[in-house]
Amino acid sequence: MSGVLTIWKKEMRVYAVNPTAYAFLAVFMFLAGLFFYLGLTLTGEASMRVLASNLAIAELFVLPMLTMRHFAEERRQGTLEMLLTSPVSPMALVLGKWLASLTLCLLMFLGTLILPLILAYYGDPDWGVVFTTYLGLLGVAAAFCAAGLFSSSLVDDQLAAGLIGIVMLMPFWLVGRAEALVGDEWAAKIQAFGVLSHLESFNRGVIDSADVYYFLAFAGCFLFLTYRSLESRRWR
Amino acid sequence: MISVVDLHKAWGPRAAVSGVSFEVRKGEVVGFLGPNGAGKTTTMRILTGFIPATSGEVKVAGFDVFDDPYAVRARVGYLPETPPLYPELTVGDYLLFCAELRGVERSRRASRTGEVMERVGLRGWEKRLLGSLSKGYRQRVGLAQAIVHDPPVLILDEPTSGLDPAQVVGIRDLIKELAGSHTVILSTHILSEVEAVCPRAVVINRGRLVAEGDIATIRGMARGGAYTYVEVQGIDGPRLGRLPGVALVEPVGQAGGWAAFRVRAPADPREMLADRAARGEFRIRALESRLPSLEEAFIDIVGREGLA
Repeated sequence: MSGVLTIWKKEMRVYAVNPTAYAFLAVFMFLAGLFFYLGLTLTGEASMRVLASNLAIAELFVLPMLTMRHFAEERRQGTLEMLLTSPVSPMALVLGKWLASLTLCLLMFLGTLILPLILAYYGDPDWGVVFTTYLGLLGVAAAFCAAGLFSSSLVDDQLAAGLIGIVMLMPFWLVGRAEALVGDEWAAKIQAFGVLSHLESFNRGVIDSADVYYFLAFAGCFLFLTYRSLESRRWR
Repeated sequence: MISVVDLHKAWGPRAAVSGVSFEVRKGEVVGFLGPNGAGKTTTMRILTGFIPATSGEVKVAGFDVFDDPYAVRARVGYLPETPPLYPELTVGDYLLFCAELRGVERSRRASRTGEVMERVGLRGWEKRLLGSLSKGYRQRVGLAQAIVHDPPVLILDEPTSGLDPAQVVGIRDLIKELAGSHTVILSTHILSEVEAVCPRAVVINRGRLVAEGDIATIRGMARGGAYTYVEVQGIDGPRLGRLPGVALVEPVGQAGGWAAFRVRAPADPREMLADRAARGEFRIRALESRLPSLEEAFIDIVGREGLA
């Protein structure tokens, strides 16, 4: 598994010198600031509640763009051939890239820590809730980065990969509005697939194991699909 | 070191490689020849384990490519057709990454990277971004990444494409240096390259093996094979053809009253021709046993197949 670390280091180095990564980082921070301001002025309470669910949606758009490069670009550059003929296993490759994008997400969250600090200056936020809120956002990041990697493994064109990723994730957001289409009984079942319903308890300061499993399973599924997709490309 | 037995690869209904078998012994440099689209890259990708074969047995460094892919990968250095480079990394960072990827120990990575940069003529280029390199330098970096972990087997897909003549000579010298301690298989369609660095060659066309052996053997496979080149005076083509033992005479040209011919005969006709010239039947100033050039042989071998 030393291969995971090798890949992670390389990805971090590429992120560090890649302007697009900074651009999306900036977009994310801007959205965070905007949602924070709106949440604060609309509700008038010193909490991150509004911010958290909106940031999850921002992640839906930003993360596929952050991960779109990974396999699409490697394939276009011919470097995927080098990686797949090296002694590092495809699974280590997928995990290394996933962990690198998660690390970038952590840096992104770090940048938004200014927001709860502002809350603390004017009010008295519940730091436990702030912590679980970030934990929830990290869960979303883990799931969405895995999905973004999968879409990146499907096509050679980065931008197409990013857009496919967004479209693929869209239903997990939209099912939250299922009650508008079907009865309440069905809506609850369908909503269980949605991302936002699994963020609710995190945003209230509760770590529910069901929600943790949801995000882990979400990420695991897409990581496995990415791995299979890499393998299948070699068989075609 | 490399053994390929009855290798087949089909992309759906289209066969890319059908029934290729050959062997490369330890320390040998073998040229892998064939026209574009003959299946060279496909075969090399199978050797490196990048794509699986449809059927057949491939062993590299004693390990089966299908059963033991990681053992094979650790022992192979591979330069694909286009050097696999990350434009945003520097030469030094990239080679360090490649060394780490191939499992070079941490303590040896820096020294190994320095060594290979020296070898391929990249000294002083560590800080350059790969994206800013010219084609020749990209190719050098590609070669450096293939040898950074000092693999016993090297698989090079057109290693000198895009290089200027001086660089070509440099890379060829490097490959010759690697021979002996490394087993090298290099694909190319530049025939002079094969003659310069490979004692032996494997020729494939349309996915089939059409010739294999040392360069002289392959040159002998041209239509008619070896011939005797003569420059004579006082005898013409038809009369030359009627001499005992001569099968065929092809005029090559004339200069200053001397006529040049290719004489083909089942047995070496040189003694007979020299004796007759000595007896004064005609005058002779050149008498030489020659092999067709590799180009002629290649075109004959591949052309014959192509028509079939």
